[in-house]
Amino acid sequence: MSITTIHRLCRRRRRWRRVFDTLAFLAVLLGLSWLIVEGAGALHYNWQWYRIPQYLYRIEDGAFYPGPLLYGMGVTLELTGWSLLLTVFFGLTAALLQRSTSWAGHAAARLYVEIVRNTPMLVQLYLVYFILAPILDLDRFVAAVLALALFEGAFAAEIFRAGIEAVPRGQWEAGRALGLSSHAIHRFVILPQAIRLVLPPLTGLAVSLIKHSALVSVIAVADLTTEGRNLIADTFMTFELWFTVAALYLALTTSLSLVVNWLERRLPSPGTGH
Amino acid sequence: MPLQKRRFGWLDALILAIGLGLVGYVFYRAQFHFHYNWNWQLIPGYLIRQDADSGRWVLNLLGQGFLATVRLTVWGGLLAALIGGVVGVCRVARSLFLRLISRVYVELIRNIPPLVFIFIFYFFISGQIMPVLNVEERIAATDPETLRILAWLFGPPELLPNFLSGLICLAMFEGAYVAEIVRAGIEAVPKGQSEAAQALGMHSGQVLGNVVLPQAIEKMIPPLAGQFISLIKDSSLISLISIQELTFTGTELAVSSGRVFEVWLTVAALYFLLCFGLARLFRRLEHRLGRHRQH
Repeated sequence: MSITTIHRLCRRRRRWRRVFDTLAFLAVLLGLSWLIVEGAGALHYNWQWYRIPQYLYRIEDGAFYPGPLLYGMGVTLELTGWSLLLTVFFGLTAALLQRSTSWAGHAAARLYVEIVRNTPMLVQLYLVYFILAPILDLDRFVAAVLALALFEGAFAAEIFRAGIEAVPRGQWEAGRALGLSSHAIHRFVILPQAIRLVLPPLTGLAVSLIKHSALVSVIAVADLTTEGRNLIADTFMTFELWFTVAALYLALTTSLSLVVNWLERRLPSPGTGH
Repeated sequence: MPLQKRRFGWLDALILAIGLGLVGYVFYRAQFHFHYNWNWQLIPGYLIRQDADSGRWVLNLLGQGFLATVRLTVWGGLLAALIGGVVGVCRVARSLFLRLISRVYVELIRNIPPLVFIFIFYFFISGQIMPVLNVEERIAATDPETLRILAWLFGPPELLPNFLSGLICLAMFEGAYVAEIVRAGIEAVPKGQSEAAQALGMHSGQVLGNVVLPQAIEKMIPPLAGQFISLIKDSSLISLISIQELTFTGTELAVSSGRVFEVWLTVAALYFLLCFGLARLFRRLEHRLGRHRQH
């Protein structure tokens, strides 16, 4: 038997193995779905998937109206957008303060980051909603945005710090050699370069922001999870609705993750230098 | 680069002024607009109280909740490490089948909000797993001595089914994150290592167990420590499906006692102590480990 025949045999075996593995995988998926359906049957669960589309959208007289679920998804996106803006603000401020010569700035940034990173998001949400919001007369949407942004801001601070530190030392030295002030170096030399390094992890942060925004359903902001929970309370279609809600979140987060992958391929990653 | 010695400057004054101003404003509003009566004396009693009959000191609601969170974290951490270890190894396995299954598990859990996962799990899986395990009947059948050990390990036996479903939920969810850490750790071991092991005639189990994993584990320790702290924080989510840990008892107490501000600040402080303390401990251990390795 020649080498090429052995090679061909190996390749064929590998190909069969792959087909077999894919089939086995599909079989497991089918088995799991069967378990779910069977398990629901044991609970005498009545599947009513046909009722789901009306909660997503309605078409009346050729016009498109979003149902409660799509509306909730809009609120989730709105929440994420506002929080992302504030997150960038908090994160950048904390990162710059941590690097500053100011003693108080450094201490304040450290305090903020440590407190946020060492307490659960849910408890922070309660702190903002039950303590800060009544004291300062905040709307629950504002409270939710504030809590989300404060939480993610601490993680954004770390991203910004890493981004700023990844800018090569020579850039600082060149800036100083040109006689620029510390402010001007930051503003015109470092940040424009750091932004490019920071963009992919920041998009990743947006993904986690979408996921964490589901928590605000606890304080009854009308986001996707809240709408799902309300509909479940009305219709008792627990499983259909939760699966739909999960699928909608999955669609949001995976599409953003694709953007992250694309950005990471397009932009240089931190550490490689260029 | 800011390498100068830190001195008190105008920026410090500004930041201190803003910080104190904000805190002062919040307290001013709380005192004069919201008219909140602070009553911190009640809080120690919520943590620990003297039993009226026996005169012994026992944990009250918040103390019990704290203990339940610690128990959830310890067992959840172990279970998540087990799930994550297995799934993580599957992620880099030769077999496409294992890779597909583990990939779907990890991606699904990492891409839906924890809250949604917990609700699906709660309504669906816990309703099916718990009857199969038959926990309640088994507890009724065990003798008092084992029950005492069980109570010490898992908390009150009557809450055990509830505790277990929360535990499994938490572990399944954290396991996906652990799996990614394990995968990254394995992939960080240079390929030459496994090739060398193969060249020495080891089979794939030996390559993994004797060559790759020992090196990978060293790399996994720092992110795993971080993930453990995340687990403590994420365990608060379990309160939403009525598992009686710290956040749940906090909610109960805030509602029943009406001392909303004090209770939530205390709960936050307890979490902070736990997480911050552990983070410091892990950092010190890591430091010592790193120093040990250099010599």
